[in-house]
Amino acid sequence: MSQGFEFRPGEINIPKIPVKKIIVFGAILVVVVILISSFYTIRTNENGVVLRFGKYHATTMPGLHFKLPYGIDTVYPVEVAYQFKEEFGFLTIAPGIRSRYENKNYEDESWMLTGDLNIAEVKWIIQYKIIDPVAYLFNVRDVRNTIRAISEATVRLIVGDRSFHEALQSERKSIADLSKIHMQKILDKYKSGISIQLVQLQDVHPPTPVADSFNEVNRAKQEQETAVNEARQAYNKEIYQVQGEAQKMLNEAGGYAIERVNNAKGDVAMFAAVLEEYNKAPQITRDRLYLEMMEKVLSKIPDKVVVDAKLESVLPLLNLDHGGKK
Amino acid sequence: MKQYIGIIIVVAGIILLFGSLFIIDETEQAVVTQFGKPVGNSITDAGMHFKLPFIQEVIKFDKRLLEWDGEANEIPTKDNKYIFIDTFARWRISDPLRFYKSAKNEYMAQSRLDDIIDGAVRDEISNRVMPEIIRSTDRDMIIRDIETLDETMAPSESQTQYDEHDGARIDIINDILSAVVNNLEKLEMGIEVIDIQLKRINYNKQVREKLFSRMISEQNRIAEKYRAQGQGQKQEIMGLQTQRKKELLSNAYLKSQKIKGDADAEAVQIYAETYGKSEEFFNFIRTLKTYENTIDPTTKLILSTKNPYLKYFDQN
Repeated sequence: MSQGFEFRPGEINIPKIPVKKIIVFGAILVVVVILISSFYTIRTNENGVVLRFGKYHATTMPGLHFKLPYGIDTVYPVEVAYQFKEEFGFLTIAPGIRSRYENKNYEDESWMLTGDLNIAEVKWIIQYKIIDPVAYLFNVRDVRNTIRAISEATVRLIVGDRSFHEALQSERKSIADLSKIHMQKILDKYKSGISIQLVQLQDVHPPTPVADSFNEVNRAKQEQETAVNEARQAYNKEIYQVQGEAQKMLNEAGGYAIERVNNAKGDVAMFAAVLEEYNKAPQITRDRLYLEMMEKVLSKIPDKVVVDAKLESVLPLLNLDHGGKK
Repeated sequence: MKQYIGIIIVVAGIILLFGSLFIIDETEQAVVTQFGKPVGNSITDAGMHFKLPFIQEVIKFDKRLLEWDGEANEIPTKDNKYIFIDTFARWRISDPLRFYKSAKNEYMAQSRLDDIIDGAVRDEISNRVMPEIIRSTDRDMIIRDIETLDETMAPSESQTQYDEHDGARIDIINDILSAVVNNLEKLEMGIEVIDIQLKRINYNKQVREKLFSRMISEQNRIAEKYRAQGQGQKQEIMGLQTQRKKELLSNAYLKSQKIKGDADAEAVQIYAETYGKSEEFFNFIRTLKTYENTIDPTTKLILSTKNPYLKYFDQN
């Protein structure tokens, strides 16, 4: 150990390092990595916004592009062809042919004061597009919440100038149209690069706590119609019957009239015939008719008394008759 | 050693270069400070900039429109309605140097904005009545659907309120904005408020409950009206029914009596015409007929021999 450390060059056998090879290989690797990081793709529904040293440089269209590597160029893809949608007062849980919606606990968003100081429940959607990707990226922070806030403020402003009934019925479309214009004005003021494509009111209702009373009005309307219909039905039923009765009365009168006239004609025809005979031989006909009558009449009567005109009274005869029967 | 010195110089150069270069993004602006004190002007251009390495520091701020979303405040209106007002604003740092000096950071700025905007909103709202705040124009509203608009319904409480004031919501928004802008100009904080909007205006809970019960009673009144109308129309139709029935039957009676009467008259005429040709013979025949009809088997007949019929009895 006393000898200490003895330096003996050439004893350590350092393997020959192929320095040159490593350098070349490294250089090639670096170039490849640089090349790979210099290409980027912009998809069909996007535009690429390129910043060079943080400053706006270019906007690129869909396709494969070259950029300067390592933070010199930065690319932000922006979905310019996409229709963004925001819902207010409800939330689509599962979109599809039969979408399911979450409606509860959105009163804060959907209840709003109307111009006649009532409260309406309004649900609506908006659709928007990014039409200026540069403005969209660089002018407003948190664009989505900004759009939502503007939409809420605007729809409330427009509904606030409509009465409750107008909001529910006649003014639905104009609320949506005016909201779209007003929102766009604010977004343009912010230079947001956003274009509102659509504002559409979904449900406009009375708020849930009063909804039942509104249904009650509809039920009452139904009841009114039912009452009127029932009355009309009863009216028609009876009046048709009465019309029949009236017609029957008229028909019977007609029958009576015909009978009466015909009888009269028959009677006079018979009389005329007899009269004709009579005129031919008046006395004989007269006697004959008289006798025929007497014959007919007397033959019907079982109780006949012939009294001699010379007798003074009929009394004895009556007595006799009485006594005889005794 | 010489070769090492070269390497050291290059490395030091690179370090110095990176220490003095900085990049400002399109969304950013900055202030350069030296030992905490701002140096030179604000930097608002995007791109590459230089500073002294190590001793100078870059403080970056956002250049974009920034959000401000206040809490909903309960404010009494001029007509003593308590309402919740929820406002939002969009603002920007218009002068980073001033902003850095007075507000330091966004968080501080937000709290200053709270005070200024809330105050302006409160001043404006407490000076306005409800219809002005809610409405934005003086357009005529249709308060009810036409069906229920009739004079038998007493006007509701709300109906009387709006005619007195034109809507002023947009004016109110503009007034608030200009008040805030003026205040901020005086304060020289490097903050510019671009826009203020009233997001939500709501009644407080008690007023809302009252409103709901008013709406319910109004609807009930309308419902009752429909029901009463229904019953009324029913009675009306029933009355018409009776009327029509009597009309039809009496008309028919009238006509049938006339038909019968005419027939009787015609018959009389027929009889008279023919019988008139020989009145004496008619009387004879008719009398004979009468005998035939009036004398029946219960009749007791006493005939005198003076009777022409028995004239031959008396011959002897």
